[in-house]
Amino acid sequence: MKLRFLSLFLVLVCALSGAVQAQQGPLRIEITEGVIEPLPFAVPSFQPESAESGQLAGDISRVVSEDLTGTGLFREVPASAFISTVSDFNAPVQYADWKAINAQALITGAVNVQGNSVNVKFRLYDVFSGAELGDGLQFSGTTEGWRRMAHKVADAVYSRITGEGAYFDSRVAYVSETGPKDARQKRLAIMDYDGANVQYLTDSGSIVLAPRFSPSGDRVLYTSYESGFPRIYVLDIGSVQRRVLESAEGTMSFAPRFSPSGQTVVYSLTQGGNTDIYTMDIASGQSVRLTNTPSIETAPSYSPDGSRIVFESDRSGTQQLYIMSATGGEPTRISFGEGRYGTPVWSPRGDLVAFTKQNKGRFHIGVMRLDGSEERLLTASFLDEGPTWAPNGRVIMFARETQGAGGSSTLYSVDISGRNLRPVRTPEGGSDPSWSPLQK
Amino acid sequence: MRRNDLHIGHYVSGAGHLTVIGWLLLGNIFTSEPPPFEMTEVSVISSTDFDALVAGQQSPDTATEVAQPAAPEVTPDQPEVTAEPDTQIEQPAPVQADPPADDAPPDVTELALPPQTEVTDTPPVLDEPVGDQAVLVPEIAPQAAPRPVERVAPEPVAQPEPEATPDPVEQEAVTQDETGDTPQETQEATAPEEATTEIVTEATKAPAASPRPPGRRPAAPPVQAAEAPQTAPEPTPQPAAEAPQADPAVNNDDIMAALEAAQDATEGAQADTPAPAAAPSGPPLSAGEKESLRVAVSNCWNVGSLSSEALRTTVVVAVNMAQDGTPIIGSIQMIGSEGGSSAAAKQAFEAARRAIILCGSKGYQLPAEKYSQWQEIEMTFNPEKMRVK
Amino acid sequence: MNRFLTSGILIAALAMGACTNPDRFGADGAGAGANAGATGVVPGSANDPTSTAYFQQSIGDRVLFEVDQSNLTAIGRATLDGQAQWLMTNSDYQAVIEGHADEQGTREYNLALGARRANAAQEYLISKGVPAGRLRVVSYGKERPIEICSEEACYAKNRRAVTVLAGGLTS
Repeated sequence: MKLRFLSLFLVLVCALSGAVQAQQGPLRIEITEGVIEPLPFAVPSFQPESAESGQLAGDISRVVSEDLTGTGLFREVPASAFISTVSDFNAPVQYADWKAINAQALITGAVNVQGNSVNVKFRLYDVFSGAELGDGLQFSGTTEGWRRMAHKVADAVYSRITGEGAYFDSRVAYVSETGPKDARQKRLAIMDYDGANVQYLTDSGSIVLAPRFSPSGDRVLYTSYESGFPRIYVLDIGSVQRRVLESAEGTMSFAPRFSPSGQTVVYSLTQGGNTDIYTMDIASGQSVRLTNTPSIETAPSYSPDGSRIVFESDRSGTQQLYIMSATGGEPTRISFGEGRYGTPVWSPRGDLVAFTKQNKGRFHIGVMRLDGSEERLLTASFLDEGPTWAPNGRVIMFARETQGAGGSSTLYSVDISGRNLRPVRTPEGGSDPSWSPLQK
Repeated sequence: MRRNDLHIGHYVSGAGHLTVIGWLLLGNIFTSEPPPFEMTEVSVISSTDFDALVAGQQSPDTATEVAQPAAPEVTPDQPEVTAEPDTQIEQPAPVQADPPADDAPPDVTELALPPQTEVTDTPPVLDEPVGDQAVLVPEIAPQAAPRPVERVAPEPVAQPEPEATPDPVEQEAVTQDETGDTPQETQEATAPEEATTEIVTEATKAPAASPRPPGRRPAAPPVQAAEAPQTAPEPTPQPAAEAPQADPAVNNDDIMAALEAAQDATEGAQADTPAPAAAPSGPPLSAGEKESLRVAVSNCWNVGSLSSEALRTTVVVAVNMAQDGTPIIGSIQMIGSEGGSSAAAKQAFEAARRAIILCGSKGYQLPAEKYSQWQEIEMTFNPEKMRVK
Repeated sequence: MNRFLTSGILIAALAMGACTNPDRFGADGAGAGANAGATGVVPGSANDPTSTAYFQQSIGDRVLFEVDQSNLTAIGRATLDGQAQWLMTNSDYQAVIEGHADEQGTREYNLALGARRANAAQEYLISKGVPAGRLRVVSYGKERPIEICSEEACYAKNRRAVTVLAGGLTS
């Protein structure tokens, strides 16, 4: 059998060779197989352009490197391997020296600190092509915001090489947690996407849950028990002023999310033991009921165009995902795999839904297309939940609670390919992350 | 019922695609930043634009310096941000990059044998996710589940021997350049980096026994495979060090065997005939010779840093070759693309260009007597198979 | 007098029982221990049938649920029968019924599930004659387990609805 196949193939090869003989013009080949590995890059420490720039020059190049390495798509060539140094931002690049150490991308930069203000310039080179990728850029700001400038540089490099949208210059709102499971202290916090610059927005006097960013990134919705009952609050991040979204006595409201316009909130309201989905106009406080069934409907999330809502419901007997019009109406079930599906979140690109899946005693973070096809599980553990999308739709952050009496919750991020699972460094435990839009 | 579902699925899918297309076109309505993939905007951004881009933000200096809970401490960011552009207007226009004077293509001596990299790239350490570790259930043969390795390649490669430094191209250990005048640095043997043939996510690893106590759920079978059929780990052959095996998922072993045989045959024949100096004409390349070129470029075609959209983009790249088998870098150009935006095509092209240059830096194994046949090459880079890995 | 003392203790207990105070969710009644050891019926102690301690310990302040269920078990109904009787007798008390879930579930769903459980208990008490106006419900989902192991023994105790007494507004 094998032999016969082989000979048949050899005949084919001969026939093909004949065909090739007749061919004119360039040699044509098709490449369908490649490799997937981190792209090696080099970031020589940025050039200080004034006496007081030294510290920040080093810090900024370090953060640029950490941003890129943290994606799992890039690998830093350590400085110890460098053959040439970059002593002048405007000097020609010795491509051969960078090729020799297999640095496929080279990032050079300069930092100029003058008092409280800082100017950062960078250039990106495709070493093996011997050409600059895009034009040099520069950013200006205050020294206090130096991390943001590093993120801006890394964002530009990341976008130019990968073609993905930027996401390093973004923040994450989350619930900071301390204490054992039966006395967990929770407070609202906000940080840079990489865990730096943590600020606390509430104290731990009452349970707070699930902050959600507004589309403009200036407000968060969250659920708090400060009245004794779960209520939704909207908090202005700048002023830390908050107000409650009114709901009727004897009801509970939770699981809020902004509409893409930022003017409407979709949320769950529980009355008489039954949980359904409502929307509320923030300005007027007018609410509209979108679902009306005896089952649990919760965890709603808008499509990026605001026309539809994905949510979870146990109307079939177990938690499953459904999509309905943003004005309500008959929903379409999209999850059909084994197990239970919850906390759907529509991706910012609009093409995928991230979710939490429970199956056979384990939890997964996964993504699927809007029709439920191409389901892909990215993680597996004792308890993973609450995915949130990076502004570019390429990375997902979620919370992982560990098992047992000493269990605690930690934020993790993972590439939507399922690669590059890594914890996010936070000062305390973390849960319920919400990724902000890219900062302006 | 099921059929209905399918129809609904089509509608949802159709609507979803329209939504995506609409969103890509009208993205600005919902995202104030340049939409993803619109790379041109980023690269042609004007000086005033990026002056306005950044605003200093009042934030603690370091990651460890955590703001105290005292909420009122936080000052509004916005006023600062809006104030910034005024001062920034006066910033000098961004320095346009002077094209470096001497970015001439690398000379031949350099291409002949690149100096050994000093990258202290120890064999890749497994990027084991921290935390809840899945435990292989005894019944599942350990080799059945691919290990998570940073590199995914068409052919599985065993973990290199500790002495060997990873290098995209296999290289014999040489102690001295015997033909050149300039003594060359001693080179260590290199081996391809360890690779698997598919991405191993945490979810595709065999899960540990269920932590859910018995009785809570219907008794699960003692051995659990990954639950989603889409992600079920395909059995992958144990990576072989000496003889790289064909990718079982894609290629038929027999075909590969035949190709290798053909390739060996031509190479053997070649070895007998010393390469003449650029015969202007000759017979066409054999299938084996073409396959050898295809494999060589594949080994450097790294799609790992490409966007999802670029991974849906096929690009056709033209390159002119020097007689020594090295690509003429300046000649590399994209002559066609399909499936993605122009921005995505640009990224896809850049990855393709890197592949051609990187693996061609020592010259592709092409028969010199057939130079006229491969002086111009058109390579189609189709990432379709790479997306699902 | 009796009632005065009871409400005093109750207020103290409530003051301690801010919702972040884990004791509030503990198995033992708050404020009950202080008077232990005295002879006879000490007002407010577990021996005082009108005390919250008595309600918690002798009547039973909680009912447990099966996995993913909010249906009352036979044992649960018996406990609630006792609660209803007590609440009818001690009509100055109001109650908040707290619904809880174990940790095996997503946060939002468990909030809704806890609400179902609390509501099931509430409806049962109302059906036994307790005025609806004296009962409120709240769900904590999986936020406040009383047992912290990740085993069924703990989960079973965490899937619960707890009737927490509060003094009447006029007392």
